[in-house]
Amino acid sequence: MFQNCDGITRRSCLQFGMGAALGAGLSDLMKLKVEASTSPSHPSARAKSCILIWLDGGPTHYETFDPKPDAPQEIRGEFYPIATKTPGVHFSEHLKRLASISDKIAVIRSIKHNQGNHGAGNHYMMTGAPPRIPVGCGAFVSFHPSLGAMTANERGHQNGLPAYFSMPSMTRSGGPSFLGAQYAPFVVPGDPNSSSFRVRDVALPKGLEQKRFDSRKEMRAALDQLPRFRDKASGDPVMVIDQYYQQSYDLIASPKAQKAFQVQAEDDKVRDQYGRNSFGQRALLARRLVEAGVPFITLNEAGWDHHGNLFPALKKRLPTFENTIATLIEDLDERGMLDETLVVVLGEFGRTPKINKGGGRDHWSNAMSVMMAGAGTPGGTVVGATDRQGYSAVERVLSPENFASTVYLKLGINPGKIIYTPQGRPAHLVSDHTPISELMG
Amino acid sequence: MNVIRLTPACCLLIFLVVGIVLSDCANGFTEPIKKTSDEKPIDFERDIQPVLSRFACNSGPCHGKQRGQNGFQLSLLGFDSNFDHDAMVKQSRGRRIFFTRPEASLILAKPAGDLPHGGGVLFTQSDPGYHLLLRWIKQGAPRSQPGTPQLERVTVDPQAKIFQHNETASLKVTAYYADGSTRDVTNWATYQSNESPIAAVNEHGKVTAGTITGEAAIMARYSGHFAIFTASVPLTKKVPAEYYANLPRNNEIDDRVWETLKKLRLRASDPATDHKFLRRVYIDIIGRLPTSDEAREFLKDVSPQKREHLVDKLLADPEYAEHWANKWADLLRPNPYHVGIKTTLNYDRWIRGAFRKNQPYDEFVYDLITANGSTFREGNVTLYRDRRKPDELATIVSQVFLGVRLECAKCHHHPFEVYGQDDFYSFAAYFAKIGRKGTGISAPISGSEEFIFTSDKGSVKHPLTKAVMQPRPLYGEAEEIKPETDPRVALAQWMTSPKNHYFAQTMANRIWKDLMGHGLVEPVDDLRATNPPTNAALLNTLAEYFVREKFDVKKVIKFITLSHAYSLSSIPNDNNKIDTRYFSRHYRQRLRGEVLLDSICQITGVPESFTAMAPHSRAKELWTHRISSLFLDAYARPDPNQDPPCERISEPTVVQTLHLMNSQQLAQKITSDKGRAAELTKSDATASKIIEELYLSIYARYPTKKEIKVTTDLFKKEGADRRKITEDIMWALLNTPEFVYKD
Repeated sequence: MFQNCDGITRRSCLQFGMGAALGAGLSDLMKLKVEASTSPSHPSARAKSCILIWLDGGPTHYETFDPKPDAPQEIRGEFYPIATKTPGVHFSEHLKRLASISDKIAVIRSIKHNQGNHGAGNHYMMTGAPPRIPVGCGAFVSFHPSLGAMTANERGHQNGLPAYFSMPSMTRSGGPSFLGAQYAPFVVPGDPNSSSFRVRDVALPKGLEQKRFDSRKEMRAALDQLPRFRDKASGDPVMVIDQYYQQSYDLIASPKAQKAFQVQAEDDKVRDQYGRNSFGQRALLARRLVEAGVPFITLNEAGWDHHGNLFPALKKRLPTFENTIATLIEDLDERGMLDETLVVVLGEFGRTPKINKGGGRDHWSNAMSVMMAGAGTPGGTVVGATDRQGYSAVERVLSPENFASTVYLKLGINPGKIIYTPQGRPAHLVSDHTPISELMG
Repeated sequence: MNVIRLTPACCLLIFLVVGIVLSDCANGFTEPIKKTSDEKPIDFERDIQPVLSRFACNSGPCHGKQRGQNGFQLSLLGFDSNFDHDAMVKQSRGRRIFFTRPEASLILAKPAGDLPHGGGVLFTQSDPGYHLLLRWIKQGAPRSQPGTPQLERVTVDPQAKIFQHNETASLKVTAYYADGSTRDVTNWATYQSNESPIAAVNEHGKVTAGTITGEAAIMARYSGHFAIFTASVPLTKKVPAEYYANLPRNNEIDDRVWETLKKLRLRASDPATDHKFLRRVYIDIIGRLPTSDEAREFLKDVSPQKREHLVDKLLADPEYAEHWANKWADLLRPNPYHVGIKTTLNYDRWIRGAFRKNQPYDEFVYDLITANGSTFREGNVTLYRDRRKPDELATIVSQVFLGVRLECAKCHHHPFEVYGQDDFYSFAAYFAKIGRKGTGISAPISGSEEFIFTSDKGSVKHPLTKAVMQPRPLYGEAEEIKPETDPRVALAQWMTSPKNHYFAQTMANRIWKDLMGHGLVEPVDDLRATNPPTNAALLNTLAEYFVREKFDVKKVIKFITLSHAYSLSSIPNDNNKIDTRYFSRHYRQRLRGEVLLDSICQITGVPESFTAMAPHSRAKELWTHRISSLFLDAYARPDPNQDPPCERISEPTVVQTLHLMNSQQLAQKITSDKGRAAELTKSDATASKIIEELYLSIYARYPTKKEIKVTTDLFKKEGADRRKITEDIMWALLNTPEFVYKD
């Protein structure tokens, strides 16, 4: 394909803010008509950044945002509901801090889908598209671009920083799929809670002084003699390398970017508030990245697949975990960033109503809870409901497509847009591009 | 043709360009359907389905999608007429059709714009499509008419044409029925160009060439049948015939490549220099750069056969097997957390063993398909430990070895292919009698032994009809399955037969892509009429050669590397800079992660230390992607969790750039006291000797005079540290595209 809008071309399109127009340029003009017919901008498209907290394994809805005190013992479990700041709304007992700031957050209790295994559930929630073939539980599949990769594709990098971060690892379907490797997340595997933490490769290697690096840079410029073919039609893959070197030099030289990584520079009090654990410090790092202009950050938190011993495990984990999230939201709010930052907390599905023999709950995609805050999301909102025993979403039943469309619209990305695979096959970014209106502010 | 209902699990692929039709279809049919057909009985499948396809009602983004649109669902692209007739006539208590007032039927009022319609206004009341639907309702909306002949095939006329820039041509599509009758269905067919910028097509079959040089395949589809038209758009400026007659020809490959260039009026680039050839064949055949000594040896050789000698030497090198097995491992090797560590290791060893003894490719595949035995002893049975269901096996085996992607046909009729669910499950039935004994998959460890054997039980059922399927090949004829034998034997014979063109073509295309930077068919494992090769004659030549040489992979590599086409320069001329797939020049390729890492270790003189591997092991020898390597991760080796077959992404990323620039590990290699830079600077080598050494080991060429001047001057600067300067130049050269790319 000569005028493929992938790779270098697409990137340069973005820089001129012409992504949409050129994206359609590769084929019939008629496609453009379709694209234009679903107009993008939404009044609440105000999120500059999104922090997506992924609870890998599928967090229970019962023990978090959707307690069912009236259900029989084998369903309601060991925890009690607690009142929140919002009259009439209850969370489960170990979300005390989030309950105290419920006026700043919204909860969707009625997302329902049909993908009950990790591979498929992750794909559906992470991309807004169900996997197009049945996939196994252990699957890591990528048929469609993830929210983060698509945001990177639309926004491009800022201040020399990559546009999409994933920490400490990429989620199963968090990749760019057919958008191409340049939209893959920049993975920061290290533990920011460790005193030796540094983000690899974004700063000069230890022992190499700046002066020597500068002279290496000069040498490189002088010795790089491979001819480039500037005519775009020739498809010279080397052209993009030059851009990447420039971007990399910028990143190393940008005080703003380097500062963002230095979670150690943060006030000890703030570090304590976030929690002196890997997740806490990652959330703090995410806030710093948002400050530096990074549009999408995923925190991939493992260990929410509670098939057994759910109650002791959550009793231990939830308090520190919710403390970090509450701190993040309050911190963003105090810094005046919450209005432009979307915080999302979710996993691949909810969990079974009946507690199993091992004292756990299994996979359950008929009901799940998703938390959102910021970027114009009206606080104190609860969208939808499950039935009395939490078996299924019954009121205002919503789909992963509605969820993805909401995130995209808040980020100013048109979820109804048509995107193209490298083979030129069109695909809706989200097949049902209706957002959750209650959350659009 | 089998008519298949869409299952809920079907693809959400949004097929076709159907979106196009939505907004603009009311305008003129020059030739309405014959007026006499007013009285003629209308058959749903023959007459109405084409209308639904023509207006894209049954397309992926509209009512053809998984759950339909607003409750109204049609089978994707109309492969299931019973289902579609039901949906239109009976579902929703028949509210979509009003027999008492046919004009008010929802299926007319909505697309005609009388009622709001999410898909917009598709036709006016004067449109022939509207009239057909209306007459059909007036006739009682019958499912079928007795005696309606079956559609047998469609043709497109002409089948190929060479276009001037911006020239147009009209296609004529004819449907042939079993009773010998024909119909002109030009206005009812749907069209798609695989390269719209080269030649676009509109809904009336009018083809318009652009100003870009190349070929486009235009598919005309009508009622589940399709025909292909090839549009060639050559450059406008004529090239004298002698030009092509005088191009060098080393073997048949050159004949085929020059034929295509002649057709498109493209000129070939100049031949590449010796050192470029040297670097290419080392990378391509043994997966690393030549050492400085190896480079010197070749460059000083004056024998006219030196290229052939080098290719022979490299093909005989043990590193050949490791490099090519490493590529195959991407296609076959599963996640050890799924099948077990020992099992994965055995499989890896089996794949490497095949390349080490240069096992003929047909035998390799035969042994894999018919594998039986213990997962602790026989590496090839891992395929059957990893893929446990006949449908999973059907998908991977057809894709990897035959270039046939059957995934679609699992759930509905393949939209661009002749395969339906019947074909899929009949093919899957070859894997019905695989017995398994021992410990099955017990993720995440799966450590125990399992035995794969031929069972006397097992069957594959059609998911909808529940019929037990008899094994049947996807195309052509297969041997009958003898009683008491495993159906896989008959399958393997059919697959690896010299008569099975897809088998040889798929592998030939893979090898071609590895060496030439672009497949003749892309993606390499998607061979079908609707995705034609950019040079079909060449693909045939390669496949025939492969068969003639008894499936010897090395022979094909030699055939390609000794062609003149392989050794063309990558530097375009004015005429061929727009060519990115007809091989008028060499296409640059980023080196594979393993090639880069092994080459860096060789250049710096500091080997990598891998866990679970012997000391001094090379990256291309790793038996699983689970062995950690930041470098290989950055350079896009497959995710260890991804199921094979894995295709690698070759586009560069900023992560790669950052890693090459700043990685602590790489910095240590360059500055190591035991490394090459330290060794060179300790020796009594002159500055220009050091530079020569670096250039030969990194670029496989001698430095130019200017390069020697620039670099040796650095050594002469006041206070210059000989070792640091050497290290810095090494870093600089490793960070240039001339190192990272095969040029």
